[in-house]
Amino acid sequence: MQWSKFKDKDLVLSLAHGIKQKAKKFDRLRIMHVCGTHENAIARYALRDLLPNNIKLLAGPGCPVCVTSSKDIDAIINYGIKNDCTILTFGDMLRVKGSAYSLLSASKLGLYVKMVYGLDEAIYYAKQAKKDAIFFSVGFETTAAPVASIIKSVNLPENLSFFSVHKYTPNGVLELLKAGKLNIDALILPGHASIVSGLAPYEKVASSFNLPCVAAGFEPVDVLGAILMIINQLEDNICKVENEYERLLNYEGNKLAQKALNDIFDITDSIWRGLGIIKNSGFEFKKTYNYLNAKLKFNIPFSDSYTEEQKGCRCAEVILGTIEPPQCPMYAKICNPHNPVGPCMVSDEGTCRNWWEVKGDI
Amino acid sequence: MTFDKITMDHGSGGKLTLELIENIFKANAGLDSAILGDIAFTTDSHSITPLFFRGGDIGKLSVSGTMNDLLCVGAKPMYLSSAFIMEEGFLISDLKKIVQSMLSEAKSANVEIVCGDTKVIESNKGFYVNTSAIGKIIRPIDGSKIKEGDKIIATGNIGEHGFAILNERENLQLTSHLASDCAELTGLILPIIESDLEIHWMRDPTRGGLAMCLNELCYKRDFGVEVFEELVPISQEVLSISEMLGIEPYYSANEGKMVIVVPPKDASKILDLLHKHPLGKNASLIGEITKDHPQKVLLNLSYGTKRLLSMPIVEKMPRIC
Ligand code: SF4
Ligand code: SF4
Repeated sequence: MQWSKFKDKDLVLSLAHGIKQKAKKFDRLRIMHVCGTHENAIARYALRDLLPNNIKLLAGPGCPVCVTSSKDIDAIINYGIKNDCTILTFGDMLRVKGSAYSLLSASKLGLYVKMVYGLDEAIYYAKQAKKDAIFFSVGFETTAAPVASIIKSVNLPENLSFFSVHKYTPNGVLELLKAGKLNIDALILPGHASIVSGLAPYEKVASSFNLPCVAAGFEPVDVLGAILMIINQLEDNICKVENEYERLLNYEGNKLAQKALNDIFDITDSIWRGLGIIKNSGFEFKKTYNYLNAKLKFNIPFSDSYTEEQKGCRCAEVILGTIEPPQCPMYAKICNPHNPVGPCMVSDEGTCRNWWEVKGDI
Repeated sequence: MTFDKITMDHGSGGKLTLELIENIFKANAGLDSAILGDIAFTTDSHSITPLFFRGGDIGKLSVSGTMNDLLCVGAKPMYLSSAFIMEEGFLISDLKKIVQSMLSEAKSANVEIVCGDTKVIESNKGFYVNTSAIGKIIRPIDGSKIKEGDKIIATGNIGEHGFAILNERENLQLTSHLASDCAELTGLILPIIESDLEIHWMRDPTRGGLAMCLNELCYKRDFGVEVFEELVPISQEVLSISEMLGIEPYYSANEGKMVIVVPPKDASKILDLLHKHPLGKNASLIGEITKDHPQKVLLNLSYGTKRLLSMPIVEKMPRIC
């Protein structure tokens, strides 16, 4: 089979060799990426096996499904059942448990959910449905931006509203660092999300926390290339934001997408699953769009008493890179992709799921 | 795993389908067709959205799938029955098209359609086709002779049907060239069955894709499977749609491919035979049987690293972002 040049074997092996040579100078390097698609590539190509033992490649809070709070899931389930409206959302979101039920399992309580591949399809369903429909709008800036521009450009059916749990990566990372929750030496920045946000928002991360930051694409050459760039920075004792993903990403980001986001959303505090409320890390509808905001339009009640995680699930630690999935006692024993106890086992971008699929029950 | 209700995943051809067959139907999930003395018998029901897709339609699919199931156990397809369950309001012109492609597929397999049945149900309840068929066993192939060191052959590029359907069904418009590989394989496989070359196992990697098929190959057996990424034939089209969706081609369905396990001595001769037929031009030796890790399918990546090709449990979803 013929792979793209970003999968090229010789290039990958020479990058791996370069990393091994240079890494000898360091006792231990903890490099974190914050993108589920990175974890997917790393697991799929078993890239960790190409790294020397003193380099730890950690998966951070990079999967939009994993960081969606159970409080938000509970709220939408309760609302949907009480008011008999249709909940539309992505497939992965259906299986994540709130404090008791996932959207999917809540269907036995009478919740009507419909899986969609995107907002376009949600609009299509809402048009056909007679009752109210709520789009459970999940994802980082990568998904928030297209949602914003669709909202700006099409006539939405009156019965469709949005429950935004969108999150903003740069601020999420920044706040976690401020709170001292991340014990890391460098960051690999998410290529896709950065195409929207640009790299400027990460300058503070690099300078205030002395972290080399390299934005990377999702092929093996990208990931290893980024690691090498990080090691080079550390070697030269500099900490700056660099771009490995120049073929698609520019420093400014996508101005149109940023404008769409700014037009529709305000940046607000947001709950991240297992991590609590993170300041300025979410996208919420601007006042002018209150009529689209399901939380206000329907006055969706949030319960104060909720358990953030399933008992015994250690997703929060997985998300923060403090443990690897097999260190969770449930991993592969009770928790697997069909019976995900925690969110990290649900989505293809989830860390536990990625480990399980390519390593099994080791 | 225990469930109180059927979920879509029970029908996705992955681990849950297998468990359903074993635990509820108490049937042997091992073979695609029953071997009854010197005849083979199989049945299959088909529901697919859309009914017409690039590369085929439900009619072609229903005949080819059933023919391929017979070939798997070493039989020459002979006679086919068909049954239709149709919703009220279904267009006669569409039905004609479907029947026409069933006929032409049957003709190409040299198979006679000998009986049928129709039922009409309420509107908006869908359109389904069942096909059953019998064939004459040329020589039974039941997997009992599989040995360590046996070679595994895939008869062509993998993943095309699943991605073509996803692309059309969800209107993803990701690629315009990708078509389903839906095809009956009598012309390709029968000469091999009729030859004196040894064949230890055959299976068409449909739902669940190549990954499921290989996992079934070593399911509850005392051997495992090694596959080499660089040897698995995959088209550029499939590679690029796979990248865009974040789903690997190994998990995408095929409807015109066969996975064949053969002893090393006959592997290259079988490959030669396959290469002679247009449907087998991309046939490739993709891996082998090993005793090293029973019941597991390992994928050897081109970088020298290894990983599991796990049995799919839930249907793969395109990533959110
Ligand atoms: S939004 Fe994009 S950058 Fe973020 S996790 Fe998903 S793929 Fe990665
Ligand atoms: S294995 Fe399951 S329970 Fe444990 S951390 Fe991962 S998702 Fe949570």
